[in-house]
Amino acid sequence: MLKPLKWIFVSFYTVKKKQNSCYSKLFGMKKFFKGEGNKMMLRFYIFLVAFSCFFTLPLLSFSESADPVLTGGHSKEEINRGKRFFMGLLPFEREHESCVSCHNLTPLDTLNWNPSAMDIALKYAGRDSASFRQVVMEPSGKVMSASHQNFDISDQDLQTIKVYLDHLAVTGPAPSKPSINTLLLFLFLGLLITWALLDLIFFKKVKYKFIPALIVIGALGYQLSIIYEEAVKLGRSQGYQPDQPIKFSHQVHVTENKIDCMYCHHTAADSKSANIPSTNLCMNCHIVVREGTRSGRFEIDKLVQAHEEGRSIEWTRIHHLPDHVFFSHEQHVGAGKLDCAQCHGLVEEMHVVHQENDLSMGWCLQCHRETKVDFVDNDYYATYEAFHEELKKGVRDSVVAADIGANDCQKCHY
Amino acid sequence: MSEENKYWHILEEFEPIKDARLPNGREEVVSPVSRRNFLKVLGLGTASAALIASCTKKPVEKAIPYFIKPEEITPGKAAYYASSYFNQNEFCNVLVKVRDNRPIKLEPNPKSAITPNGTSGRVQASVLDVYNINRFQGPQKEGAPIDWESADNKIVEQLRELANAGRPIVLITPTIISPSTKKLIAEFAETFGAEWQQYDAIPMDGYREANKRVFGTDALPEYHFEKADCIVSVGCDFLGTWLSPVEFSAQYASRRDLHKENPDLHKHYQIEAGMSLTGSNADIRIRADRSEYGKILAYIYNSLATQKGFPAIASDIPAPAVAAELDNVVADLAASEGNSLVICGDNNPDYQVIVNGINQVLKNIGKTVGFERTYNHFRGTEKWKDTLLNAEPGAVIVWDANPVYNHPESDKIKAAIQKAPLSVAISSLPDETSELCHYVFPSPGYLECWDDAEYKKGVVSVMQPTLHKLFDSRQAQESLLKWMGNETAWREYIKSHWVSNYFQLQNEQTNTDRFWVEILRNGELTGKVEPTSVSFDETELGKAFRSIATEKPAQGFTIELTENINIGTGHGPLNPWLQECPDPVTRIAWDNYASIAPSTARELGIINGDIIRTGNLTIPAFVQPGQAAKTISIAVGYGRTAGVPQELVTGVNAYQLAKLDNGFRQFCADGFNIEKTGEHEDMALVQGHQSMEGRPIVREATLDEWKKDPAAGNEMHEKVEHHHTTLYKEHEYKGHKWGMAIDLNKCTGCSACVLACNTENNIPVVGKKEVKRAHEMHWIRIDRYYNGEEENPEVVRQPVMCQHCDNAPCENVCPVAATNHSSEGLNQMAYNRCIGTRYCNNNCPYKVRRFNWLDYTGSDAIPNNRYDPANLTLDLPRMRHNPDVTVRAKGVIEKCSFCVQRIQEKKLTAKSEGRPLQDGELQPACQQACPSDAIVFGDLNDPNSKVSQMMKDPRNYHLLEELHTLPSVGYLTKIRNKS
Repeated sequence: MLKPLKWIFVSFYTVKKKQNSCYSKLFGMKKFFKGEGNKMMLRFYIFLVAFSCFFTLPLLSFSESADPVLTGGHSKEEINRGKRFFMGLLPFEREHESCVSCHNLTPLDTLNWNPSAMDIALKYAGRDSASFRQVVMEPSGKVMSASHQNFDISDQDLQTIKVYLDHLAVTGPAPSKPSINTLLLFLFLGLLITWALLDLIFFKKVKYKFIPALIVIGALGYQLSIIYEEAVKLGRSQGYQPDQPIKFSHQVHVTENKIDCMYCHHTAADSKSANIPSTNLCMNCHIVVREGTRSGRFEIDKLVQAHEEGRSIEWTRIHHLPDHVFFSHEQHVGAGKLDCAQCHGLVEEMHVVHQENDLSMGWCLQCHRETKVDFVDNDYYATYEAFHEELKKGVRDSVVAADIGANDCQKCHY
Repeated sequence: MSEENKYWHILEEFEPIKDARLPNGREEVVSPVSRRNFLKVLGLGTASAALIASCTKKPVEKAIPYFIKPEEITPGKAAYYASSYFNQNEFCNVLVKVRDNRPIKLEPNPKSAITPNGTSGRVQASVLDVYNINRFQGPQKEGAPIDWESADNKIVEQLRELANAGRPIVLITPTIISPSTKKLIAEFAETFGAEWQQYDAIPMDGYREANKRVFGTDALPEYHFEKADCIVSVGCDFLGTWLSPVEFSAQYASRRDLHKENPDLHKHYQIEAGMSLTGSNADIRIRADRSEYGKILAYIYNSLATQKGFPAIASDIPAPAVAAELDNVVADLAASEGNSLVICGDNNPDYQVIVNGINQVLKNIGKTVGFERTYNHFRGTEKWKDTLLNAEPGAVIVWDANPVYNHPESDKIKAAIQKAPLSVAISSLPDETSELCHYVFPSPGYLECWDDAEYKKGVVSVMQPTLHKLFDSRQAQESLLKWMGNETAWREYIKSHWVSNYFQLQNEQTNTDRFWVEILRNGELTGKVEPTSVSFDETELGKAFRSIATEKPAQGFTIELTENINIGTGHGPLNPWLQECPDPVTRIAWDNYASIAPSTARELGIINGDIIRTGNLTIPAFVQPGQAAKTISIAVGYGRTAGVPQELVTGVNAYQLAKLDNGFRQFCADGFNIEKTGEHEDMALVQGHQSMEGRPIVREATLDEWKKDPAAGNEMHEKVEHHHTTLYKEHEYKGHKWGMAIDLNKCTGCSACVLACNTENNIPVVGKKEVKRAHEMHWIRIDRYYNGEEENPEVVRQPVMCQHCDNAPCENVCPVAATNHSSEGLNQMAYNRCIGTRYCNNNCPYKVRRFNWLDYTGSDAIPNNRYDPANLTLDLPRMRHNPDVTVRAKGVIEKCSFCVQRIQEKKLTAKSEGRPLQDGELQPACQQACPSDAIVFGDLNDPNSKVSQMMKDPRNYHLLEELHTLPSVGYLTKIRNKS
């Protein structure tokens, strides 16, 4: 916490002491200034520094982490030793893989079928080391037995690993360092523009006018591109692929086990919502199927446990339309006979589901302009006599959704 | 409509308007901020807001499924449960629309034998009562929370002690129409030696007494308005608040359905003092002071008897002031012998005896007045308080009754309850009576209850819970069972009662369980009943005449206490929807007032809103055209304070002015004067805001004129149609073209449509202050215009909602195309596109667009921006929202959408089933709730649809059609039977 404050102080001090040289030191642009800096310029500079500190301050404060919490009366050394075992740094000579090679410590971008260190820590936080030992050393599941072969870990070492994991369960995963985000970049550019403009109009310290002008144009252009990108993304999340509480794979269920979409999402054809299966529906199969070919028992155990505790799985929602859009699955799947993949992509090939399309209004409207309506088999459309007449006469060969008003505002917004 | 400016709608229009501005209207804005500066700041603000919004991370949302999905719940789809609404003043069979376990709307049950057509506004609004934040949250003793078990133990112990000591135990309830509950109460009374008394806030014991005297049975007969060619009502508001208004509205409207095949109308005379809803619908309204009712009835009887060869009853009753007009009434009644109906809205048994006499002379008994399916309601008599006041009861159990508030002798009752060693209140909401009781046992709302009802003899219906109990409450019946030591669940009790009593009434089901399931599905069972045999005792007539003859002439002003169609007997104040729905006659919301005649007002120098003192009430005056000169009308049901949040306390309590006369409570009293206090308070009067400046917007004709020319009164329509031409490209509707036709002849103005629309479309409540500023948000309003003399004008009404014009003036002026035309003829409104310029509102000739001036709904992005006078944006009342309709934020325009969510839903059902949409299948909320069937919606592209047929009727016209806006809403002229 003290670091940034000190920095401010120092910069103030230096500015006051050596008024002129500080410009040149910090900016290295002495030759561009037309002579001695006046008081006005000095005030502006102080403001600039203070202002940027104001924004960097919270950022820097992240770097100082809180004192580690000690649990269960274990010393810091013991925990660190456990961590080294987990990371594979200890023991020096070992035949088997390190824990971390399968059980990731930090969040990954790719799918890891094995439970992460955090997952394990949370699961075994409340259990004794004997049961932990039994699971690690004498696994019952096929997947785990295959990878936990030839484990040669002493009980004491295993105990330290457990201590480390318990500690992890309390403190949570290591905080990922925040990157300088777009907002800060944007604000910095804003300051740059302000400075350049002030110089251009009032101070005229820079000899060549094109330099501040270029800075203004460049920074402004970059800012505009940021605004454009962020605004386009506003409310859309194409490619959104969050981690789910259970590593549920649609590929495993749909492609490998040939379960129909409508088995789980069974109201898709006759309700607005497609239905996320309730825990008891999962248990129809998982009452028997207790081990996955890839994930072993760990993930399915989460489901079983939820079922035993009588709670629902809290999935992370991926596809989400704004509240003022009234989308109906029944209209599209039931009446329109669309394939799920048309909007959701090839979910059957996804281990982790992501949002395939941007679900923007333009995307909806485009599809409505292209999708043909079943004027032949569905008697509802008999009402549209004018279109039937045109079809008969050959004026048109098909009727698309937009023709019958699918793109009216109040088809979705009411 | 031949004369110009024939109609006027507020009294002020009668005099030249000096200043057209609203009083307290806006003044020129003088601000130090210049327009340019303002725009600069605005621009910067918007840009930074957009920037910050674009850089913040989207929150991670959860999608949480059920643990075990209940079979009957499909997320995103509504389930319907049959149930019944019963409150102190009305009954209705309903279907409860439940979305994701929450009841959100009430709809009429088409299988009902009593109310298949529609509901009343109160029924519509009652769904909000379940989500009332003021409800008791758990049992209480002396105001402190207590658990059920210890409360039960203490009460049982005390009850037994008191019973052993011989102290009376009194159970006070409103009329109970539930057969199972009656049985249970009888058992309870036996166990504890308790006495059961029924008490009605507004009683009808005088009617029962009169029937007992004359016909030998105290049954309340059923009335067949549909069979009556001539209806004469003396001060009876049967379309609004009397006995069974939803049922009567349907019957009444069936005789006003005028077309080629049915060229005859009934004729409705209303003789009354204050302008009631029913009176405003009458073909001929005769103004008479309230104190004259007795004389009028006696005069009608004697004139009829003489004509029909019965002996006239000699007495020295003077002829009423309106005798000349009554001669026409008598002539019409005599002409429709056996097909006429005379009713009177007064609880005086002597008056009712004469009414019975008149109906007997007219041979109406057994025809329009039937004793087959008699009403079980209104069993309360004035004897209810005998034990309470005179016998020092040991225990008083008050269940849903509030005599401390609504009985004129409330002081005595209060003292008696306070004196009792044990007093228990069983109520869902706090009230004046529960405040006094030792114990409060919260009861659930009717949508959380098991119950049954037999409103009319032989028609039994069920109530079933549609959501889990929201609070720690218990039904009164469960409490009684518990105290009796009976372990049966109340639901099982009802079921076994049904199985043992009603199972044999039907022969479709042979299994009792199947029978019960079927009953729950249909909601109702109609058994056969034998008509009650009636005799006729003429001597009673003589007695009644004598007692009327001895009536003292009225002194000073007579105050008549009326029932407001929305507020009812006094449960309304806690329902902000009902408070905000304006009275259909006076168009005032959020208040009660003393209606006085214009002549009286002029004499005393009173204008609308002047606070007057009359009796011991201090109340604003309202100058009501058509009011009898010596009668002041005041609505009861207001002035509730106990347990009512400050913002919902409105008006004054007028119940105290009721008087006891020969053991019957009368809702009028004379001997009052009017005193000006010099104070003034503007009332929330909604009409006058939307003046149509005297253009021919309501068109009417008499029946005779219509018979000569079906387009009578509507000559202008043809002229306008003749000029149809346009330079612009016309809309083309290749599929549906939605349209609506409203029969002004059937609309009674009951406002059920307004409240149904409120419920369906999540219309916000804006509060009294905002209504005064003309900011009310109702999508449908019922305009009321007066025609003729101010002393007794004729009244016309017109429901106005968005007209969905083909040449919509609003669409052209929207700078962002937020409102535009759909391919099905809807004038659509995209809220998220609206930037709030209100150009559309300015350009709409019908003034049906509503602007969200403030954040009434709590959906604004800025959290502290909320304006919520009725606490409807809290989480609990928000659970009532219809999830299919966007809740609008501040700064956007909204208006009637023709219930587009229902259109979409029904179209989709038809599409999924692969069949064409049937005519009548699709009903907007207003049509569905309308008990008189005045609103018809459908596809104008289908030439056979009912709405197309109505549009072709010569009576059809469009509002301000001369503007060539081409509305999709048509109105059918009002035809009065004046022959």
